[in-house]
Amino acid sequence: MTVFLLRRLVQAVPIVLGIATLVFFLLALAPGDAVSFLVSPNITPEALEQIRRNMGLDQPVHIRYLRWMGSMLTGDFGISLTRNEPVRDIILAILPNTLTLSLSAILLAFAGGILIGVFQAVRHNRLADSALSVIGLFFYSMPSFWLALMLILVFSLGARNLWEWPIWFPASGMTSVDYPFMSPGEQIRDRLAHLVLPSLSLALVLAAGIARYMRASMLEVIRQDYVRTARSKGLSEFRVIARHALPNGLIPIVTLLGLYLPTFFSGAVLIETVFAWPGMGRLVVDAIFQRDYPVVMAGTFIFAVLVVIGNLVADALYAIVDPRIRYE
Amino acid sequence: MLLPGLPAILGGRVAAGSAALLLWIALLATAFLGWERFLRALSGTWDERLALATWALAILLLAAWSRREGRPERARRAWPARTQWALAWEAFRKNRLAVAAAAVVVLAYLLALLTPLLAPFDPALQGELTTERLLPPSSRHPLGTDQFARDVLSRVLYGARISMTIGFVAMSISMTIGTLLGAVSGFAGGRVDTVIMRVVDMVLSFPRLVLLIAIIAFFEPSIFLIVAVLGLTQWPHPTRLVRGEVLSIREREFIQAGRALGLSGARMVLRHVVPNALAPVIVAATLGIGDTIVLEAGLSFLGLGVQPPTPSWGTMVADGRDNLFGAWWISTFPGLAIVLVVLSFNIAGDGLRDALDPRSRR
Amino acid sequence: MTRRTETLFLSAALAATVSGCLGGDAASRTAANLPPFCQEVLPRVEAFLAGFAHPEEPRFGGTAIVGTIGEMPSGMNALVSTDYTASQHQTFVHLMTLVRLDENFEPAPYLAESWEFDEAAETLTFRLRDDVYWHDGTPTTADDVAFTFARATHPETGFPNAAFWAHYAGGEAGVRVIDARTVEFSVAPHAEYLDSWRSTAIMPAHLLGEVPPAELRQHPFGSRCPVGNGPFVFESHQADASWSFRRNPAFPEGLGGPPYLERYVYRIIPEQTTLLTELLTESIDFYLSPGPDQVPQIEDAPHLGLRVFPFRGYDIVAWNSRRPQLADARVRRAITLGIDRGEILQAIRRGHGTVANAGVPPFHWGYLAETADSLSHDPERAAALLEQAGWSDRDGDGVREGPAGERLELTVKYNLGNQQREDIAQILQAQLDPLGVSVTPQVVEWGTLLNQINTPELRDFDGVVIGWVPEFRVDDRDLFHSEEVDQPYGWAGTADPEIDRLVDTLRVVMTREEAVPLWHELQYRILEVQPYTYLYHVERLAGLNRRLEGVRLDARGEWVGIREWWIPADLR
Repeated sequence: MTVFLLRRLVQAVPIVLGIATLVFFLLALAPGDAVSFLVSPNITPEALEQIRRNMGLDQPVHIRYLRWMGSMLTGDFGISLTRNEPVRDIILAILPNTLTLSLSAILLAFAGGILIGVFQAVRHNRLADSALSVIGLFFYSMPSFWLALMLILVFSLGARNLWEWPIWFPASGMTSVDYPFMSPGEQIRDRLAHLVLPSLSLALVLAAGIARYMRASMLEVIRQDYVRTARSKGLSEFRVIARHALPNGLIPIVTLLGLYLPTFFSGAVLIETVFAWPGMGRLVVDAIFQRDYPVVMAGTFIFAVLVVIGNLVADALYAIVDPRIRYE
Repeated sequence: MLLPGLPAILGGRVAAGSAALLLWIALLATAFLGWERFLRALSGTWDERLALATWALAILLLAAWSRREGRPERARRAWPARTQWALAWEAFRKNRLAVAAAAVVVLAYLLALLTPLLAPFDPALQGELTTERLLPPSSRHPLGTDQFARDVLSRVLYGARISMTIGFVAMSISMTIGTLLGAVSGFAGGRVDTVIMRVVDMVLSFPRLVLLIAIIAFFEPSIFLIVAVLGLTQWPHPTRLVRGEVLSIREREFIQAGRALGLSGARMVLRHVVPNALAPVIVAATLGIGDTIVLEAGLSFLGLGVQPPTPSWGTMVADGRDNLFGAWWISTFPGLAIVLVVLSFNIAGDGLRDALDPRSRR
Repeated sequence: MTRRTETLFLSAALAATVSGCLGGDAASRTAANLPPFCQEVLPRVEAFLAGFAHPEEPRFGGTAIVGTIGEMPSGMNALVSTDYTASQHQTFVHLMTLVRLDENFEPAPYLAESWEFDEAAETLTFRLRDDVYWHDGTPTTADDVAFTFARATHPETGFPNAAFWAHYAGGEAGVRVIDARTVEFSVAPHAEYLDSWRSTAIMPAHLLGEVPPAELRQHPFGSRCPVGNGPFVFESHQADASWSFRRNPAFPEGLGGPPYLERYVYRIIPEQTTLLTELLTESIDFYLSPGPDQVPQIEDAPHLGLRVFPFRGYDIVAWNSRRPQLADARVRRAITLGIDRGEILQAIRRGHGTVANAGVPPFHWGYLAETADSLSHDPERAAALLEQAGWSDRDGDGVREGPAGERLELTVKYNLGNQQREDIAQILQAQLDPLGVSVTPQVVEWGTLLNQINTPELRDFDGVVIGWVPEFRVDDRDLFHSEEVDQPYGWAGTADPEIDRLVDTLRVVMTREEAVPLWHELQYRILEVQPYTYLYHVERLAGLNRRLEGVRLDARGEWVGIREWWIPADLR
């Protein structure tokens, strides 16, 4: 299997490079460049030209492309045209924020989705099953930014100002402003409190999808003979589900994990904006609008790599959890 | 029996019967209350005539259904044979939730088509900006007015056509491409398969937003561009789906037989493989229309959706969100419309999946 | 590996990553990958400031949090600064300028104690304070001023505001350091010779002197570890999230002494609804530029107050007079007459602003409040003017045709994602329709729009809804002078000898008494030529938590009085 994974990895290289190239030329050919956004009569045309020269934007497209490729291959992504900082530093500062948000949302979504899915399968075709399906789909059908705003209105504004609940959650940011002066215990609590609403609004949508798969997969498994056998042995229903059905019902779910990785990266722009979370989605979208191509390229590159890794993880997990699958 | 629905109610199918009855009454009421509009529509725009035709068709269909319901049980079994589709239909009918959802979808499309006859105001017409903007719901404006003193109800109704058309067209594009590529890929195998699947990988790992913003920077943003981008970036999933389906179909006897008969590849794919792989595609398309509507709303949030003054639900929710505190009705009603319709698409799609999958029909 | 251990391993890895992200101390994490420059400089700042006692009086203490939608991309580097908020922080918060404006917009001493001209009015001499220190303990001297000037005028720097120095003899030759506290410049006569020293903060020569001009833009000084000399010391910057500053205990007593606030945090929250929520839940103290429709919520909350104050910006519809439909000034005036700007102001900004007739803001001493003919909404006069110019609706389709049969159809562009301009374009369409002028709003992505309107060969627009934020030194030369028609900002393309004469003269008139009549004349002339339809001068809005006291807001900017903001002890 290692050979299979390695081969897939090698196959992925041209894909990733191809995407990066395509994105580069898309941005390079779009009208205007990063410097043209400096609109002010104070800027003389000579100054604009000089800034372009300082940024290397006066070079022809192919030279810029080769330069960027070169810098990328050495692991240095160049310097952002709008933030005037090395792209690597920016990404290193922002990537952990995205990972924190996505991973907590993934954990929440899988834990919740699997539980609900199993519960629904056990209560197949009863009221609770249908009700949970509809509730899940209700969140799934909502535009995510809308759900996020509703969560803010209820659990931040409403909870604090209107109904004066004992707990309310901060509506934006990753930490309070006095975070550096807190004790370590308070710091963790502060971080978690800020994480609740954004990860919840990401997780709710996903959990609905996961529950759907989990329900279907469990229904399939429950009908299998070995589950019937387990039941007929007189095992308690809980043991039958937890020990015999669940492990096999989880197989198709595991692959979802790999497939969701990249979705998180690109799909979180809206959530990051609403909750003022400094993440990769916002970084890249702002950069596209401002023609800051070193940042866009780096973002795209990471995104493509994540997709590849996600797919590989999915394949590998699939092979691990399901011994019947063999990759040649 | 002249009153549609009554036979069904008498026959014990109260829910379906009363729904039909209500729809019948509602249709007649619109014509009765708005007869002037109907008359004008006769010589009106293409749009209005289409609405009239829809109205007439709906009345006729209801009447026809009513006649069939009125006949004795055995005569009604019009299905020629217990084909796969007939079986699926029987299974689907038993799922009351899915049937209700499908009814909502049909009703939403009906409303969208009838909008020119129903909407109280022109959706782009601005009222008196100093006195009529941001009015809360009232009898004159049942869903209130927005920041340009436009009637929110009319905009939600017109928005239905835009949003549902976007969902439908984009999904048709991606499903067509996906089905064809998937069928070819699965059927041909070998090098063709590898190439197509690598392209699929590439499109899947290509950030859609980059493409969209770049396209919008190149061209002037319009509804066609959005439909095209949404349609042209979503085909990889159906491609994978169909390919998997085809891989299992091509091992079956009837395809083997076709091969033995020496049928051409294209003919085999179009006549035999695609129809047999259609069931999962239909399910995916139903779910996909809903997803596309939500996606368009997300794009609107970034300012990349349908551009005003054309009302789409997504644009209305996204543009109205700044007024969420002061004038909640601007974005809440289109938001609810999205949830209701997408939810219905999803429930109906899930129902379809269950009905079309022989394993879950047991 | 068996199935179970694999799962365990996976969840352990997830847990480790999450807790790593959660528990890790943000400060130590960023410190590790700070550039060498910062690692060297920050300890020096720490050491210098540790030697000062913080004041104990009742007003001192507390953290104020400002929330706004945008990042400050140019950071604290005044030599590459291009955005308004960054420039505000440079001049009022973190760095210092030689002069600042007082409440009457007259230049007042700041880093410079005094200044004088020689008799020929060709040499300008500044005398600096001797009690201002950079936050690392180095005194601020004439060398820093000379360095800032030399870099700003150095061609390789690409200083974005080079036009400020047009009347100064540039480079090394134009500046002479007499002693540590005295520096002189060679200048040509100009109306606002001090304005560039109001807007450009002085930068530290001892830290940046060795940096090649072309590399100043990307120097870590800008947003990783700026070292200023102003009332607030840089504490940290988290990209897209926040900038934190703390009190500079060494800020000179002669300028009022250290600020009352112990810390000041600038937070970036890109969503307006979230910003309002944060203000209402008291998570931020100061919401900069709430949407006009959010005003009632701020006014209704007992703990909040709404503040309205003048601003230098104004919004316009720029008309492209190169288009045959718009070549005639009468048509442009008729269009302005057909637009109810009062209604637009009411609908778009809830009336917070002043209907504009030219780019001179209401608080400017040259502003002309009453004009004989300010083109107020008058559809009948507009129709008459159009008829007179040969535009009438001959075929009865509701749109006027011109002398050559061309239709009076205009595409008005605006940029993607700007709700207000989108709204304006839609109202224009509705208002001009009855006049027989057909307007089609067209959204264009911002970068593309700038390319279309600024490229002299393209000028691909009929009208564009856009805004300007001029300096205090109002100068319309780049916009309207006939020599500028083929330069980037010659959008309108009108060439009028009268306007040429006025903008050229106004640049060199030194006294206000002489300038006022000329300013008035210019404003009348602009009404006549009507290169733009001026919509309104903006008034800025701010939502403030009442606990934050002493906040003075005027046209100089939001941060002008940050040294005097304070929070009562029981509300900190």
